[in-house]
Amino acid sequence: MSEAPLLQARDLHKTYRMGRLDVPVLRGADFTMRKGEWVAILGSSGSGKSTLMHLLGLLDEPDRGRGGVWFEGQPVAGLRGGARNHYRNRSVGFVFQFYHLLPELTVLENAMLPCRVAGAGRAAAGHVRSLLTAFGLDHRLHHRPRELSGGERQRVAIARALANEPRVLLADEPTGNLDARTGGEILDMITGLHRQGLSIAMVTHDPAVAARADRVVQLVDGRVADR
Amino acid sequence: MYAIQLANRYLTSRIIPLIAVGAVALCVALVVIVVSVMSGFLDMLKSSGRTLMGDVVINYPVRGMPWYDELVRAIEAEPAAQAATPLVDTYGLLRMPYPQGAEKEVVTANVWGIDPASFERVTDYSRTLHWRPPADQAEADAMGPDDPRRKLSPRIVADGLALRRGDTGEPGLVMGLHVSIVNERQRDGSYRSRYGWFMPDHRVTLTLVPISAKGTVAEPREQVFPVVNEFRSAVYQIDKNRVMIPLAEAQRMLRLDEGTLHDMEAPPNADGSQPVLGRSPARVHRVLVRARPGVTPDQLREAVETAYARFEQACAADPSKLVKPPLREMVSILTWEQHLRDLIGPVEKEREMMRILFSIVYLVCAGLVLSIFWAIVQEKSRDIGILRSIGASRGGVLWIFLQYGLVIGLVGGVVGIGLGWLVITNINAIHQAIGERAPLWSWTACFAASTIALLMTVRQGLRGVLLPTLLWLVGAITLGLAGAGLMAHRGTLIWDPAVYYFSTIPDRVDWVTAGITWLGAVVFSVLGASVPAAKAADIDPVRALRHE
Ligand SMILES: Nc1ncnc2c1ncn2[C@@H]1O[C@H](COP(=O)(O)OP(=O)(O)OP(=O)(O)O)[C@@H](O)[C@H]1O
Ligand SMILES: [Mg+2]
Repeated sequence: MSEAPLLQARDLHKTYRMGRLDVPVLRGADFTMRKGEWVAILGSSGSGKSTLMHLLGLLDEPDRGRGGVWFEGQPVAGLRGGARNHYRNRSVGFVFQFYHLLPELTVLENAMLPCRVAGAGRAAAGHVRSLLTAFGLDHRLHHRPRELSGGERQRVAIARALANEPRVLLADEPTGNLDARTGGEILDMITGLHRQGLSIAMVTHDPAVAARADRVVQLVDGRVADR
Repeated sequence: MYAIQLANRYLTSRIIPLIAVGAVALCVALVVIVVSVMSGFLDMLKSSGRTLMGDVVINYPVRGMPWYDELVRAIEAEPAAQAATPLVDTYGLLRMPYPQGAEKEVVTANVWGIDPASFERVTDYSRTLHWRPPADQAEADAMGPDDPRRKLSPRIVADGLALRRGDTGEPGLVMGLHVSIVNERQRDGSYRSRYGWFMPDHRVTLTLVPISAKGTVAEPREQVFPVVNEFRSAVYQIDKNRVMIPLAEAQRMLRLDEGTLHDMEAPPNADGSQPVLGRSPARVHRVLVRARPGVTPDQLREAVETAYARFEQACAADPSKLVKPPLREMVSILTWEQHLRDLIGPVEKEREMMRILFSIVYLVCAGLVLSIFWAIVQEKSRDIGILRSIGASRGGVLWIFLQYGLVIGLVGGVVGIGLGWLVITNINAIHQAIGERAPLWSWTACFAASTIALLMTVRQGLRGVLLPTLLWLVGAITLGLAGAGLMAHRGTLIWDPAVYYFSTIPDRVDWVTAGITWLGAVVFSVLGASVPAAKAADIDPVRALRHE
């Protein structure tokens, strides 16, 4: 073994409680991603893809006592408070299917938000602007999200995810809400970022999308299987 | 940083916070107005206390205290006392010069016989004299053409101070501004003569009833006095009732003046009269005492009690004084606050009521902010989930909403104080306006606005949008009702000076209370915001982002 994987999950369990009923979604899922790798996660609807992504991004906690998540060889699943926020803010960037931009903020302000949360305002502005420019949004900087098309919104969301230059981009069906052409444009963008060295974990339904990735895994019965 | 930005955006991008600001402002304004008026009352009462009766009053009604000159001297020898003055206090009938014809109006009056020079030292009596000629041409020009002050004789203040007409030397009478019915208060606070009567141009007849040593009523005595000035203590009850005449006149009319003392037990002289024992001294009912600066009324009262004891002993030991002063137990020695208990008590009670109102208003503020923020947090939970998912801390989210509450408290407080200030400084004019019929323009304007709103209702209704239609309709109805109310308004006297003691409403903002209220509004807005803020901080990002 030369180097620890960039992001790794071992034996993840996640059970939701529905009233009195326990619904197990992940049952010992393993996931490994090396530095610079693009991994696509396939799976039928309700198989737990989003759940896995949330656990990798520390947005949620796995069931206690078993398994965990490692980032650059360090266990992170149990992080609390400031360290957990720091991981969400710096180590990973999250992209959602439904963009999730703040309607009261402009495009630039939305993309800047992680920098502001990190306490770096002005310093990061140049970097974020150049990201938005690279994504073809330079004429939209001061518009509100509701004035943008779906593709434009998703590009803003990706710029936001990359604002703090994270090591990993976690994308949960980034093209799921877009038509084929717009989705293709977004995929081209992501491919470009991957070429520049970004590590990507991406959830998708679409085998054609998955085909662009270095490696494809499938979530079946709460476990990850290689394909 | 992002917290400030977001709080700012959430504040400026919607209407609800404006409603919260308005509600907080109204609460603050309410408290500021009511408390300022109440504090103004108490201040007026306290400052008028001196004007009315000095700091401490020695009271021995009806029969009066003899040797009061010596008592005054004994009191003034006390370092705590600044000055003391003797006073005769009785009731009498006052026959007015009006109306025209033989049937004149008669009123009852509380009559004070005063020694003007020492009375002035104790009570600042001169400040209450109402009629003064204009100080200079500018002041004269500012007065209305029918203002009686324009043609006052320059003598009038000196006459009022001396209770004597300077030209003829006649003893004069000074009466409270509302004893007669002829003085009519104007909007600007000045007074005009009603029916063309001006009291200092006239004479009144005063009738007093002396009480004999046995406590029976003797032959009433009447005397005509020229009115030399009028006074305004600002306490309506007093301005309506009290007249003042020189001490000597009052004593003479009440047979409290110096006389000879006859031995009623000895056999009569050859001419039928009783043998003379000696001198019977003049008497007064009260001695008013003013404290030296820095001496509290209670300290002064103790000093006066000592002085009275000393005076009583000295008189008892003096064989030349056949008539002895009343025993200490028979004499009441009270501070003016104790003396005017029935005047001050209700105001203090009302202020206590205010304190209760205070806390309720704060709770209203907090509740308002709480419910409004609760709704906002509910609506913004997705945003909060996003923030948490990109690494915002719980503290950061909490801070957004606390700041939000802080700003609403701060701004609402400032607006409220401004509003309160506006109302307070114009409170007498507002009251005056409420007391009169609403002017024509006010209700025509309301009706015009109502008509426009009605047209807008129809227009929006035709366009088929419900909310604006409804809002315009509500506006039209409100304006129409306001117009109808104004049109029907016949003038109501809300502030009855007879009930509230003072003839004007205090119109100065109590800045200390305003400051405290503002702080309270801020604290309670933040407290109100803290509950939804804590809820926001507890939002689980995954849950908040799950469904679209
Ligand atoms: N908070 C929750 N409470 C109860 N059940 C949940 C909760 N979140 C997810 N689930 C259930 O867990 C299962 C997996 O959900 P998840 O969103 O991870 O699926 P997914 O693979 O992302 O599906 P999709 O492709 O439709 O997005 C689903 O059956 C879902 O109903
Ligand atoms: Mg999903």
